[in-house]
Amino acid sequence: MAILVDKTSKIVIQGITGREASMVTKHALLYGTNIVAGITPGKEGQKIEGVPVYDTVKRACKDHEINTAVIYVPPAFAYDAVMESIGNDIPLVIIITERIPQQDAIRFLFAARTANCTVIGPNSVGVITPENRVKIGAIGGDNPERCFVPGTVGVISRSGGMTAECAWMVKRAGFGVSTCVSIGGDALIGSPPMKILEMFEKDTKTKAVVMWGEPGTSYEEDVAGFTKEGGFTKPLIAYIGGRFVERMPEGTIFGHAASIIERGVGKPSSKMAALKDAGCYVADSFTDIITYVRKAMES
Amino acid sequence: MARVLENVGKEVLKKNGIPIPESAVASSAEEARKAAEKIGCPIVIKALVTVGKRGKTGAVRFAENPDEAGRIAEEILSMTVRNFPVDRVLVEKKLDIRQELYVSITYNSREICPVVIASSAGGMDIEEIAKSHPAKVIKYPVYLAEGVHPYEVRAIWSDLGLRGGVLLNATEITKRIFDLFLKYDCTIIEINPLAVTSNEEVVAAAVLMGVDDDALYRQPYFKNKVEVGSDRAWRPLSALEKEMIEVDKMEAYRGTARYVEIDGGNIGFFCGGGGGSLLSYDALIRFGGKPANYTEFGGNPPEAKVRGLVKGVLSKHGVKGFFMNMNITNNTQTDIVAKGIIGAFKDLNINPQKFPAVVRLAGVHDAMARRLCEAIGLEYHGDDITMEDTARIMVSKMEKAYPEEEY
Repeated sequence: MAILVDKTSKIVIQGITGREASMVTKHALLYGTNIVAGITPGKEGQKIEGVPVYDTVKRACKDHEINTAVIYVPPAFAYDAVMESIGNDIPLVIIITERIPQQDAIRFLFAARTANCTVIGPNSVGVITPENRVKIGAIGGDNPERCFVPGTVGVISRSGGMTAECAWMVKRAGFGVSTCVSIGGDALIGSPPMKILEMFEKDTKTKAVVMWGEPGTSYEEDVAGFTKEGGFTKPLIAYIGGRFVERMPEGTIFGHAASIIERGVGKPSSKMAALKDAGCYVADSFTDIITYVRKAMES
Repeated sequence: MARVLENVGKEVLKKNGIPIPESAVASSAEEARKAAEKIGCPIVIKALVTVGKRGKTGAVRFAENPDEAGRIAEEILSMTVRNFPVDRVLVEKKLDIRQELYVSITYNSREICPVVIASSAGGMDIEEIAKSHPAKVIKYPVYLAEGVHPYEVRAIWSDLGLRGGVLLNATEITKRIFDLFLKYDCTIIEINPLAVTSNEEVVAAAVLMGVDDDALYRQPYFKNKVEVGSDRAWRPLSALEKEMIEVDKMEAYRGTARYVEIDGGNIGFFCGGGGGSLLSYDALIRFGGKPANYTEFGGNPPEAKVRGLVKGVLSKHGVKGFFMNMNITNNTQTDIVAKGIIGAFKDLNINPQKFPAVVRLAGVHDAMARRLCEAIGLEYHGDDITMEDTARIMVSKMEKAYPEEEY
């Protein structure tokens, strides 16, 4: 088992004819991912790496069974693309596109919630389940095995790049990953860490979780509260990046759009304290993740 | 978010039917005096800077007559408010205020919806109001981004104790503010105070407005009126920061980069990944390094963009070393990044064998990145070391190269 994506995933890529999307399609197919269709309006009949291109999600759904959509279209068209997937009853939509206007995100996230559709992102680098060789988005690039080997540790990350680096730490500790989820660096995303943690709790394969946190939002505090209340019972190893931001003038953004301390909310020190208080392993240096993963997996 | 100056924010309010006090912008004492004469005293003079809580810094003052207005304007024009030099002031009619209300609209990342915050005790910071008068603050999430119904807004103000004409006026104005929040792709609108005058009018006496950088392409009204990236600095953008925004605009959707200048420091900081840069900066500081700037890039930038960015990083005054650290890349081609760095070193005539520098570039095409860096004697690492190791190496290189400097 895994979360979000596994061997049953049948994937459509919206915006498949774009430069980045076609490269990612090639890498994902080589890995073994089941990409059944691509969408680019006006380009039906073309093939990208052998994957048929359709004008609409509706037409793709007529020819294929689809349960996962990946959004690669430019920011100005992302709203329509997400709504199209939701409108065609696709239960999981993973949004890679960066710099989507906040209002558009609010609108499609609201629609998704009403339709019971799970959204990952916007601004996610993807999701990977090594055991089933399914990868969505650029995650792992052309060499997924470098960081992502099959195992039983889940990874949740607010940073796309650090999703890979966290999995690499797990590998260095001598273990592998069940599913790794880049949740997206924006302030308004479909699935905050707590929601992913709920999925990992139910997943029998996952024995522990590594989480990369950042300044801004209350995501890590929510995770701490959830863990403390018994919502998550497996070992959780957390690292919070960007501690220096606390010493910078408040309201300044470093890194991701969501990484902003405002009105005293979002301080790494408070997040670390809350997680510690909830009984999580909080890594002081990033390298400590290795020690904690070993400790957690041995217990 | 791009911050909007108060005069621009008020123009937007006025265009959308929200009453504002009569006002004029002045950039000299004489202009302020004339404006005061025309508008009529008493008058308020406010520094036009994109800084909140101006009142606390003495940048909002009152004058009883035009001469006093001129004198005060002169003083404010010579001020620097939280690092922002004042070059213009807003000269505004002082309202006859009976009650101060507060209203703001922002997005809430937990609820994933716009939230209206309203209070019947305006005039202070909302944090202070929430502390001292919790019963006088209502937070109201609007679950449908399609808008808010008048009855919902009416209920907020009614629960806060407004009655009669004031209730109706406050409702109408709040509804209009909400609509324009969506129409103009704002990320925040805060009206504090929302003033109730002695004749029951409700007027937006002060406004703080921010618009979504990522929506500016569809908001022509703000063209040349707001500064992109103004939320990434706690002072006016430096010349180099502005240059770097231009560099970032090359092939806008291919590789994004953000540059912030740090006071002092001697290490040119060019790191990859939104999260990877945070980790890199923390690690440098932990080992005793002093970054001179903060550059974060990702998303597979083209060579020319990397070259331009690295040149910027190295050209900041006082930079005596180069630190490039990044997480193992998912899609960023490390050979392209290496080429950009090497090009910048060449452009600036920097010899990497004499200049303290380290690069950690693991990921897509990293065998090539290694070859390119090693060919010019630039210390290269891939996934043989961790990101924290790179920081340790950098700091020890600086200590060795500049033993006379304090660490």
